[in-house]
Amino acid sequence: MRHDAGVATRILTVEDDERIRTAVKLALEDEGWKVDEAETGEDALERFAQAPSDVVLIDIMLPGVDGFEVCRSIRRMSDVPIIMVTARDDTHDIVAGLEAGADDYLTKPFAPKELSARIRAMLRRVRTTDSGATHLRFGDLEIVPEEGVVRRGGDEVHLTKTEFRLLLELANSPGRVLSREVLLERVWGHGYFADGRLVDVHVRRLRTKVEADAANPRHVVTVRGLGYKLQT
Amino acid sequence: MARVRRAFRLPLPARLGLRARITFAFAATTAVLAALLAGTTWGLTRENLINQREASATRQATLNATVMSERVQANQDTEALVAAMASLQTPASSRPSVELRQTDDTWRSVSLQSTFGQAVIPDSVRDAVTGGDSVRMRVTLNGEPELIVGIPVNEGSAAYYEVVSFADLEDTLESLAVSLLGASVATTLVGGTLGYWLSRRTLRPLANVGLAAEAIAGGRLDTRLEGTEDPDLNVLVSSFNHMAQALEARIDRDGRFASDVSHELRSPLMTLAASVSVLASRRGEMPDDASRSALDLMEGDVARFQQLVDDLLEISRFDAGVARLSLEEVRLPELIRQAVAQHRTGRAEVAVELDAELAGMVVRADKRRLVRILDNLLGNADAYGGGASRISVESAGDSVLVAVEDSGPGVPIDDRGRIFDRFSRGAGAGRRSASGDGVGLGLALVAEHARLHGGRTWVEDRPDGAPGARFVVQLPVARA
Repeated sequence: MRHDAGVATRILTVEDDERIRTAVKLALEDEGWKVDEAETGEDALERFAQAPSDVVLIDIMLPGVDGFEVCRSIRRMSDVPIIMVTARDDTHDIVAGLEAGADDYLTKPFAPKELSARIRAMLRRVRTTDSGATHLRFGDLEIVPEEGVVRRGGDEVHLTKTEFRLLLELANSPGRVLSREVLLERVWGHGYFADGRLVDVHVRRLRTKVEADAANPRHVVTVRGLGYKLQT
Repeated sequence: MARVRRAFRLPLPARLGLRARITFAFAATTAVLAALLAGTTWGLTRENLINQREASATRQATLNATVMSERVQANQDTEALVAAMASLQTPASSRPSVELRQTDDTWRSVSLQSTFGQAVIPDSVRDAVTGGDSVRMRVTLNGEPELIVGIPVNEGSAAYYEVVSFADLEDTLESLAVSLLGASVATTLVGGTLGYWLSRRTLRPLANVGLAAEAIAGGRLDTRLEGTEDPDLNVLVSSFNHMAQALEARIDRDGRFASDVSHELRSPLMTLAASVSVLASRRGEMPDDASRSALDLMEGDVARFQQLVDDLLEISRFDAGVARLSLEEVRLPELIRQAVAQHRTGRAEVAVELDAELAGMVVRADKRRLVRILDNLLGNADAYGGGASRISVESAGDSVLVAVEDSGPGVPIDDRGRIFDRFSRGAGAGRRSASGDGVGLGLALVAEHARLHGGRTWVEDRPDGAPGARFVVQLPVARA
């Protein structure tokens, strides 16, 4: 599969179980992706530092440096889409993974087609504004969709692709409430039954970056029982 | 299970409860003691009173005999003697009489009262008196206790008799007996009350044990009894707590085992799922039908295996008591429509009927669990009822009733409770649908999810009378 400038999309899978790694690689290659493998967290970080991938797939339960740490380390280097894989669907692990910087998660065993769909959704080009406006302003917040740039009080704020897409979706419906289901569908390409915590954790992460006081958000506001909206 | 040997048994009906038996024993003991005490008191008092009366009556009679002795010597006329007797100091109830020896050695009797005659005096008394002895004798005359005192007068030429009635004494004793009986009854009542109160007090720790055991049975495994100051009770408390702890540890271990097994199974399942998907993408290149059939079977059962592992994990969380509601605002009608749409397996569309007032209803519930409930009920309808035919959502007081109907054979009344048990299958046990949907945990999970919401699950006949089952989930979900 090709992505952006015609270069094959490289996926780094971090998984300590060799049989799973091999089977997932076979399945992903079948779907047309180029797959790099890493057996440990250290191995993964080294490989990523040498040749950054387009998407990283991390198993949480790794010997040595665990999945959360790998996720945080990669996040410090890059805003590459990260998908966490967990055998435990405990709330704690999932929220911890998302807070470590993962964009999405899957529980084992997942269908390779589902994974492919998630990867495609992450690599989608950011949708530009409906109105075609080049600059969107919400108080001290300025969004430049074409450049993928967000400024708060004139200073550039660094967002991951998913965070940026989330902000842009909210910005495209200024003052209107978007339900978690709608955001899941538009930002992640998920169906109605996807996990609302994806939205919640990403909104939390977004607030720490675009709000002066994340605990008392001015821009990204929760509308209890309905969803979220962006306001000036 | 080890039997606890009974050290002793109160000889009381076994059907009575411990509290009743303690109360009864207290009342009985008090009654016996009170009766004993009252009886002794009555007996002693009676003896005392009678002795006193006897002594005073004898003294008085002796005095009277001396008086009469003088009168008899002075005048033996009947009238004079009667007048003399009337002037004697005698108690109201006593009857004096004088007998005079005649010259022919017979006796003439003179009494104050005409009814009183010689016949009253027993021969033994008269013989003794005529023989020269003073006699005192207790008799019962006309059912009343009386004392007869006989005294020889004037060297045996006359005899003085006095009959003293103790009837008034009997009245006194009777009222004493009534008082004592009343006191005994009152004491018995007090004893019984004390026993009841004590039994309650004594059994209160047992009641606490009962409550704690109930709490543990209800799933609150960390329930423990508080220590008391009573060393006797502390033995019970500590052994109970020890048992509860052992039970919790064991259930925890079992729950963790199921959970660990399920997690461990996910790794090989991941390999299987990925490998099968590689094979499935080459289905067209397979040389023969047998390979393709084998692939289809594998694909189907990997999915079933996966569902089973998911269900086992889910149910192990209920068993371990770690299942928690994750409440959020859910648009119920929308959720139901989406669940039906997602579940649709190429069958005819399922009609979803909503109470008009429920359109757009938002409730606080665990969305994921609601979806699991619907999906499992729809899956059950697929497996045993030829697919769901209708879903209805009704409002019932503070609850919402979600019902899934099918057009299958229905569920026999005897199976209706059992059907929500784990790994129980529909009518005709062992029947498994060809599609392989019948993983026996679906309905058990429906019941657990509903219970976690504080709701109930049951199955009934279709209200329209057509053959088929109607699975109802009652959810007391608060409107948001």
